[in-house]
Amino acid sequence: MCECCNGKKDIYLPELCTITKRRMLNGTELYMHLEKEDGGDFDYIPGQFVEVSIAGIGEAPISISSSPTQKGMELVIRNVGALTKVIHKLEVGDKIGIRGPYGSTYPIEAAKGKDLVFICGGIGLVPQRSFIRYALDHRADYGDITVLIGTKCHDMRLFREEIALWEERKDMTVMETIDEGHDCWNGNVGVVTTLIPKVESHLPNSQILVCGPPIMYKFVLMALAEAKVPEENIFVNLERRMKCGVGKCGHCQINELYVCQDGPVFRYSDLASVPEAI
Amino acid sequence: MSVSTVTKDQFKSFVAALVDSDQKVVGVQAKDDKFAFGELTDADNLRLDYDVTILPPKKYMLPQKETLMSFKVGGAAQTVQPDEKMVLIGVHPYDMVAINQMDTLFSQGQYDTHYMNRRNNITIIACDVVTPSENVFASSMNTATCDSGFDILLTDIGDTFVVEAATEKGEALVKTINGAKNADAADTDKRKAVQDKNVASLNKHQLECKPSDLPDLLEKSYDHPVWEEKAEMCYSCGSCNQVCPTCYCFDVQDEVNWDLKTGSRCRSWDGCLLANFATVAGNHNFREKRADRFRHRLYRKGKYVPGKIGGQIACVGCGRCISACTTKIANPVEIYNTLMEKN
Amino acid sequence: MSKPRVAIFDFACCEGCQLQIVNLEEDILNLIDVVDVVEWREAMSEQSHEYDIAIIEGSITREEDAKRLEVIRSRAKILIALGACATMGGLNKLKNNFDDLNEVRECVYGKDGQMPHLNTFKTKACDEVVKVDFKIHGCPIDASEFAQILRSLLVGKTPFVPDYPVCVECKANENICRYEYGEVCLGPIIRAGCGAPCPAAGRECYGCRGMVDNPNVEAAQEVMDKYNLTVHDLKQKLVLFNSK
Repeated sequence: MCECCNGKKDIYLPELCTITKRRMLNGTELYMHLEKEDGGDFDYIPGQFVEVSIAGIGEAPISISSSPTQKGMELVIRNVGALTKVIHKLEVGDKIGIRGPYGSTYPIEAAKGKDLVFICGGIGLVPQRSFIRYALDHRADYGDITVLIGTKCHDMRLFREEIALWEERKDMTVMETIDEGHDCWNGNVGVVTTLIPKVESHLPNSQILVCGPPIMYKFVLMALAEAKVPEENIFVNLERRMKCGVGKCGHCQINELYVCQDGPVFRYSDLASVPEAI
Repeated sequence: MSVSTVTKDQFKSFVAALVDSDQKVVGVQAKDDKFAFGELTDADNLRLDYDVTILPPKKYMLPQKETLMSFKVGGAAQTVQPDEKMVLIGVHPYDMVAINQMDTLFSQGQYDTHYMNRRNNITIIACDVVTPSENVFASSMNTATCDSGFDILLTDIGDTFVVEAATEKGEALVKTINGAKNADAADTDKRKAVQDKNVASLNKHQLECKPSDLPDLLEKSYDHPVWEEKAEMCYSCGSCNQVCPTCYCFDVQDEVNWDLKTGSRCRSWDGCLLANFATVAGNHNFREKRADRFRHRLYRKGKYVPGKIGGQIACVGCGRCISACTTKIANPVEIYNTLMEKN
Repeated sequence: MSKPRVAIFDFACCEGCQLQIVNLEEDILNLIDVVDVVEWREAMSEQSHEYDIAIIEGSITREEDAKRLEVIRSRAKILIALGACATMGGLNKLKNNFDDLNEVRECVYGKDGQMPHLNTFKTKACDEVVKVDFKIHGCPIDASEFAQILRSLLVGKTPFVPDYPVCVECKANENICRYEYGEVCLGPIIRAGCGAPCPAAGRECYGCRGMVDNPNVEAAQEVMDKYNLTVHDLKQKLVLFNSK
């Protein structure tokens, strides 16, 4: 901070954080736990994202996967581009740049007292996990919790141990499916939409939280419309190119909305006149 | 604030003194048979009778490429803040309106210190238009004159400039003009005549509605065939974005120095017409079709950005995109008028 | 950590792109500070079979060149095509416009044209023979772009190479559009990254960096009569660097 900025902070400047844990969740997804250098808390709400960077390589938006009820912050990063390839090589103790948190949040207050249904496709589970964990940590505040998880193939499944623990809990329902059958898999086979009829009676009075690959939304939303779920009760978590995170650079815009500011979590009924959204 | 008159010779002496001072002075100069803003090294080169510059003065607040921070590779970064002061001479009213809009966009919500520091370090001497450009339609957009943003406004009324100081910075500068006299009623009448004429005549293309009608017009035009028709001829070259005084989208890239240990994070102009503007890691392109990108620009100007700046239309009628588009499809007036025909 | 070993090889070309590397001048010292150049015929006499990065200049016009390139590929971790001849065949593809290469040999070399060392096949870009990891475009390459791409690779960053047309940089540089002078400029369909030096110097774009991924060639053809030009003019211009 300098005199010329009128005491204003540079909004593009990342803060260095330390990687305190890391492990591969599958062949492409890296889990990492971060802590601030000063030991302070990350101030975020489920649904938000951060800009993650390595100086010299670049910066990219990444969903927060942890709940603010826990210490530090957890991210899951798919090895998909130039930056993430380098991030995958980092080890415990290495530093990484963080800006944020940015964006809208899951309706953690408005959804209190209501039933929650999470519909997660692939790495869509990553940001959803933030709210799932938050709700489990405030279990009395919410009604029934149902989590539907669809993954492309058995090897790609994320957070397997954690999902196993969720499955053991009496106070939540977890259903999992994989797109392609596998020898080691006794569970459901089919895309995540095939799980929706199994919880159909439950849907109209629940808050539905949807996150997955771009192709998934259309089908899930069709299934939810058939199940007569009011659009006000559906929340979608959208991915776009949130390059700056602060509503300036224009890359994440969907019609008049900026995903980095107005999203990434949108109430579906607010997207009625936003044709670029889904 | 004061309104005075100075002769053109007196004004030239004033500019010459500025050029000789430590102050960086930027003004409009000839570039072949066109004009461009550039650093002034000789007061004789200043051309306040210009029609339009190739690029808008935006490049001084949001340069084509600028360093945001320097860093250690894989380590910490330090902000790099611009601190160069300059006097910018010859900003036309439509460009002034655009700068005012950009000031709002970069200061609202998250405050962009890089843009705002550059902006705050610039003293703007605006000037009313003397020669209309071939594609100007500022009259249609209510931007043929402007009433704020500048420190000084010049109006050419013959062999004299009417000089209005609008800020303390401007007032201090006007005080250094030798021979400045208080403007009398006849002078200000002449100024009004120039401005009235511009309000009526900076209009090579006539928008068939009020600018404030555009958001509603666009609201019902999303699936209009004009987007597909025009976009068939679109190169996705982003020329319309590059020359636009209200386009401010940018990209950010890291560059590493030869030591491979240090480097800088730089931002540069981007454009929503470019093919991969909305492509995310993993190569999914969220605005893959030319027609969708073509439509997006016109919606940003007429509906989306206005929603962020109190309804002001983010097209100021400079006409640069019309001239810059090689295939001649970018004319916003033609497109907006087409939407009205079929609605 | 030992420095990456770099080898530079030339095939059918004028060696002008290597010359651009030499033109880095004092930055050559920076370059050899960060890499070990183990083979570079234009600048040194040593040779090596062990290298991490192979930089290939030139196009492939003979069977033995294709084999040599395959060997280089098998030894290199990263293979970079340097300059238009290597990235897309470049000027050397002009000959591909002739059906009979014997005719071309005779045209160029006269009665000696049939001598065995002048054996030739249709010109190929490097990536028509082996996998190419990165391309440094241009005829010649831009030395500062070469340096930027190399530094990116050395720190593990995927280099930034634009996929948008030259117009972006040309407009940003405030050049006057060559179409305003009634010239066929290929800028609207050619990949940027050069900084548009040709229009800045008063010349139209000849297309030496190759087309963008999704060029609107139909629009380019249709726009010709707006400028009193013909599709033939456009095709004539494209033949120089963008022959198949």
